Amino acid sequence: MKIFNRKTWLATAVMVWLITGNATAQEYSDTIRDGKTYTNATMVGVGGANILDTYLSQEKYRGLSYEMVYHRTIDRADSRWSKQIIHSTALFITQNRANTGNEWELMYNYQHAWLYNWDFLDGRLNIKAGGAIDADGGYLQNDRNSNNPLSVKAHVSIMPKAIATYKFKCGSHPAAVRYEIGVPLVGTMFSLNYGQSYYELGKDDYDRNLVLTHFINAPSLKQMLTLDYTTKKTTLRIGYLGYIRQSDVNNIKCHNYNHSLVIGIVKRFNILKIRP
Amino acid sequence: MKKLSLLILSLATMLTFVGCVDVDEYDDSPKGNFEALWHIIDEHYCFLDYKADVYGLDWNEVYERYSKQMNSNMTESQEFEVLTKMLSELRDGHVNLYSSFDNGRYWSWFESYPANVSDTLLRKYLGTDYKITNGMKYRILNDNIGYIRYESFENDLGSGNLDNILAYLAPCNGLIIDIRGNGGGLLSSAEKLAARFINTQTMMGYIQHKTGKGHNDFSEMKEQKLKPSSGIRWQKSVAVLTNRKVFSAANEFVKYMKQTPNAMIIGDKTGGGAGMPYSSELPGGWSVRFSACPMYDKDKNITEFGIDPDYNVQLSDSDLQNGIDTIIEFAREKLKQ
Repeated sequence: MKIFNRKTWLATAVMVWLITGNATAQEYSDTIRDGKTYTNATMVGVGGANILDTYLSQEKYRGLSYEMVYHRTIDRADSRWSKQIIHSTALFITQNRANTGNEWELMYNYQHAWLYNWDFLDGRLNIKAGGAIDADGGYLQNDRNSNNPLSVKAHVSIMPKAIATYKFKCGSHPAAVRYEIGVPLVGTMFSLNYGQSYYELGKDDYDRNLVLTHFINAPSLKQMLTLDYTTKKTTLRIGYLGYIRQSDVNNIKCHNYNHSLVIGIVKRFNILKIRP
Repeated sequence: MKKLSLLILSLATMLTFVGCVDVDEYDDSPKGNFEALWHIIDEHYCFLDYKADVYGLDWNEVYERYSKQMNSNMTESQEFEVLTKMLSELRDGHVNLYSSFDNGRYWSWFESYPANVSDTLLRKYLGTDYKITNGMKYRILNDNIGYIRYESFENDLGSGNLDNILAYLAPCNGLIIDIRGNGGGLLSSAEKLAARFINTQTMMGYIQHKTGKGHNDFSEMKEQKLKPSSGIRWQKSVAVLTNRKVFSAANEFVKYMKQTPNAMIIGDKTGGGAGMPYSSELPGGWSVRFSACPMYDKDKNITEFGIDPDYNVQLSDSDLQNGIDTIIEFAREKLKQ
């Protein structure tokens, strides 16, 4: 009589391998810390807007803006460099001063920033500064124009950027005041020429439609001032979002002055990778 | 702290770059509306120099003459009347002033001429059993001539519609496209229809646009090339019937058809309208439309004041009384030759 047949040997070998393998795994930590701290802020905003686009009208349009902003900042324990990614979408619904015409604009903004960190006042004040790639895309539509019914917006630029965060205690609750500013320095923008039609553009009539922009012909600014207040496990954010977007290219003057109240939730967390 | 000071200084420097891009808005008053309108035309209208040459238009003199008529005691109606009269100096059917109570217009380009079309006669020629698709009415006349009545280019013409119409009319010996009274619409529809009458890419004319506020600030002329349609194309003779009310995109269609190998233009001179219209507005909220992009024929002539037909034929009173459309009958005879 055989005590061990072939199947028994095989099962035993697998069990030994599993046990020893498991024992080996237990010799290490089952989690890996990547050393990154993620700060995500999701905000909604509402505010006032003042829009000018002389391709559509010489009149300024005023009305409301609605924003949705998503910020992600990634700080590293082993580096003084941080990364920030922003996605924001804004809808502007505006009227002319006689209330006889409407313009509405839909814009998407993407920002990818690399920022260097400095700490002051025993770490209570953190300043980040660096550069970002800033991209806007969307369109502005006038509801009663004929062959110039809309203005397509597309702008990519390099943007110096700075963020200052001051942490303090409000009673027993942690709080922080934060100011963020970016100024597009140089980039490229799509713009029709002064009297050019989309019909001509559709017939491959390129006429300086990609324009070099800089802080003189497209002086713009994005800024945000917020207060973060933590209660229990939730951090609320409330503040001001200001967006000044301007250009004077191809003899077309444009501006969008947008000032909004934003409110949102901030989450700060690390990601742990767990070994299987 | 030195680093902090440096950062604050950098921030302040960034902010100083942000200047204002703005325009001055005119007052919402009769004088403000007048100034805004005069400047919109002065800076954007595309035929100021051309019309100065053709009939002596002097836009600065127009300012002097009409600014004296504006005062703060005017009623809305009086203000609208003076501004419309000022715009009429441009003699352009594409120039309009729109208010909630009236559309200011210049229509002398067709009102001062015979209509050369009669609804009663068209009803007689079309009968009641004609076909309709996408705004086109069509039938085969009793001498085996195809007849298409097309009153507006407002609809986006579909390739399937045109294939069906041309397939139905394919057995005919010739084709009449009657666009009398067609005030225009989509340029793309005019192109799609004309593309059925060419077999090779054809140069139809030129288009350009303004590049600045100066009266003569224009881009280079861009060739308007038309590719033949990939659908059914008409290879026999075709007659396009015109009158003075053929305007804008319909005027362009006539320009295109002039370059096709088998087409003849019959009827009265077209109304013109060779500037693609744009819109703007006045402080008081009235909307203004004006010609912005000039279009030219293949010899670089502006077609703003119309295109001459190959055969100038007028609808005669005696034919009208006898129920005969002189222009259709002339076309039928020509197509039989």
